[in-house]
Amino acid sequence: MNTLYFIVQQTMFFSIPLLVVALGGMFSERSGVVNVALEGIMVIGAFSGIVVINLFQGVLPGQPILIAALLTATAAGVIVSLAHAYASVNMKADQVISGTAINMFAPAFAICVARSIYQTQQVPFQNQFHISKVPFLGDIPVLGDIFFKNTYITTYIGFAILIVSAFVLNKTKFGLRLRACGEHPQAADSVGVNVYKIRYAGVMISGALGGIGGLIFVIPTSTNFNATVAGYGFLALAVLIFGQWKPQRILLAAFFFGLMKTVASAYSVIPLLSTLSIPAEIYKIIPYAATLIVLAFTSKNSQAPRAAGVPYDKGSR
Amino acid sequence: MKKLLAMLMAAAMTLSLVACGGSAGGAEDTAPQEGTAASEDGTYELALITDVGTIDDKSFNQGSWEGLKKFAEEAGISHKYYKPVEKSTDSYLASIELAVKGGAKLIVTPGFLYEEPIFIAQEQYPDVKFVLIDGTPNNGTEFKIADNTVSITYAEEQAGFLAGYAAVKEGYTKLGFMGGMAVPAVVRFGYGFVQGAEAAAAELGISEVQMNYHYTGGFSATPEAQTLAASWYQNGTEVIFACGGAVGNSVMAAAAQSNGKVIGVDVDQSSESETVITSAMKGIQASVYDVVKKYSEGQFPGGQALVFSAENNGVALPNETSKLTNFTQDDYNAVFNALASDENGIASSMIKDADKDGNPISLSDIPVSIVKLTEIK
Repeated sequence: MNTLYFIVQQTMFFSIPLLVVALGGMFSERSGVVNVALEGIMVIGAFSGIVVINLFQGVLPGQPILIAALLTATAAGVIVSLAHAYASVNMKADQVISGTAINMFAPAFAICVARSIYQTQQVPFQNQFHISKVPFLGDIPVLGDIFFKNTYITTYIGFAILIVSAFVLNKTKFGLRLRACGEHPQAADSVGVNVYKIRYAGVMISGALGGIGGLIFVIPTSTNFNATVAGYGFLALAVLIFGQWKPQRILLAAFFFGLMKTVASAYSVIPLLSTLSIPAEIYKIIPYAATLIVLAFTSKNSQAPRAAGVPYDKGSR
Repeated sequence: MKKLLAMLMAAAMTLSLVACGGSAGGAEDTAPQEGTAASEDGTYELALITDVGTIDDKSFNQGSWEGLKKFAEEAGISHKYYKPVEKSTDSYLASIELAVKGGAKLIVTPGFLYEEPIFIAQEQYPDVKFVLIDGTPNNGTEFKIADNTVSITYAEEQAGFLAGYAAVKEGYTKLGFMGGMAVPAVVRFGYGFVQGAEAAAAELGISEVQMNYHYTGGFSATPEAQTLAASWYQNGTEVIFACGGAVGNSVMAAAAQSNGKVIGVDVDQSSESETVITSAMKGIQASVYDVVKKYSEGQFPGGQALVFSAENNGVALPNETSKLTNFTQDDYNAVFNALASDENGIASSMIKDADKDGNPISLSDIPVSIVKLTEIK
């Protein structure tokens, strides 16, 4: 039973950043702007957050630093995403290219700044944020073991983001306009919605969530930040597509990917799987193979926003 | 308005680039590092080319550079490092060409991945001296160390042996080894670790030592490595020998979360995390310093393959920062001296990554009776 709890707890470390970043991507793409810059935004968010942690370590207690770092990561993500928004909304540039540019720019920027501050490219941090057991809640049988032990407050923030995102997208006026701009911006414009503003908002939200996701990703996995998030921004894009641009499905997709990643890494301690001699590569392949298969069968009625990737031109109405 | 914004943005970007270039830099096309002196004609006599890692990897790139820099500054020789664009033989050769054009007379290349590039370059530039660390020049079939090349390798199996020996002597019976890519140096560390644990267990009369054994296949910190390490700790593993650059940081993160312990690698890693109890070190800095010094004295040991081991202080465990309590300084001195003097053939009979003919040895070929190995592929 302990192994089972352990697997679920570890899955959170994979799934929560994927969930948050994929939700970010969702806001951008549902507004009509493809955002392949998620990887770069994650790097910038993680970098700025870790720098804050590094600077305030020892000055403030653990959790307040984490909150400060998360806010910084959010702001940094928004700032970087503005470049993407400017290029793809105002300048009508190819959105994949400006996203790729950010992906290349981000690690170089992080290394450059880290070297001028610390003389090394790695930014070390102490992990004071780990919660081995939440008081009271951790004592609940089963649920306490799954959700309230060996965790980080970022896990709960991740779930909160999911709930808020689903609400904003489906139940608010802003959400409706956002979806309209991603499906048929001309129609939205004709009824007085400012497509440019909405798209800016979508990209900025994705920047904020991408930044947060980057920081959440790095904290449990290392003791320093080395200008990389190991391709998880791209993985989040796969989660987004697998999740068909819908919050609830993105949740399922993120946990599916996370679970498979965990099993691929830790199958040697899972009693049933350790006796089967399946190579670890098979487990690593499963999420991607599943994505391919799902895409192959659903591409006909894919839920992709119709106008995603198409710059909006007022003149062509 | 649009134009104004665009101009502002361009200005900001240029400024940020200038700001960075001023203080950092160092790689091929930017200004050399602080303390790096060019000679009067703007050339650099001593050069170092990094491999996939960076100059501040806290491992062999950094160690080699520090050794080179230390001597160059003492002797007042111009020096510089270069960073290849990507991980490929072509790119490495291009960097070597760049260094030679920049006036390099001696080029240090840290890393196993330089075996092929140096094999080619030593013929191509007979007037330039090459120092290859962690490997022997070859093209896959033919091994050759030309007169202008020296190959430095370390007896990593001895460093690993010391670590494994110390861990079991300390009282740990559930160990783990997590390597990066299964390159010869990493394999030697791992095999030495196994044999050291076996030797200590035999001395103490322990009936069983369990060991998990795995190569992650990379040298970076990933959630996968963290999860695997956490799963080992969860299953009772007490200490993991993390032997693969930044993989160690993931292991340390897992250890901090599960109250486990870590053994560091290459350099003293105790400053990286509280969980590091000791480190299997190799004397990269000292050996590079040594060779560069010999070069400047006109005694470059060209054509030789130098092996740094316990015998010439090429491997060690750190004493000051050790968090081991049952394994004392005297214990350490005893085992270290035994290795250094090859007592009862302890060092010479140790199993390395390959036999005398260069055939690789697999993990299951190591004769262990007490250590129960579980290899996770």
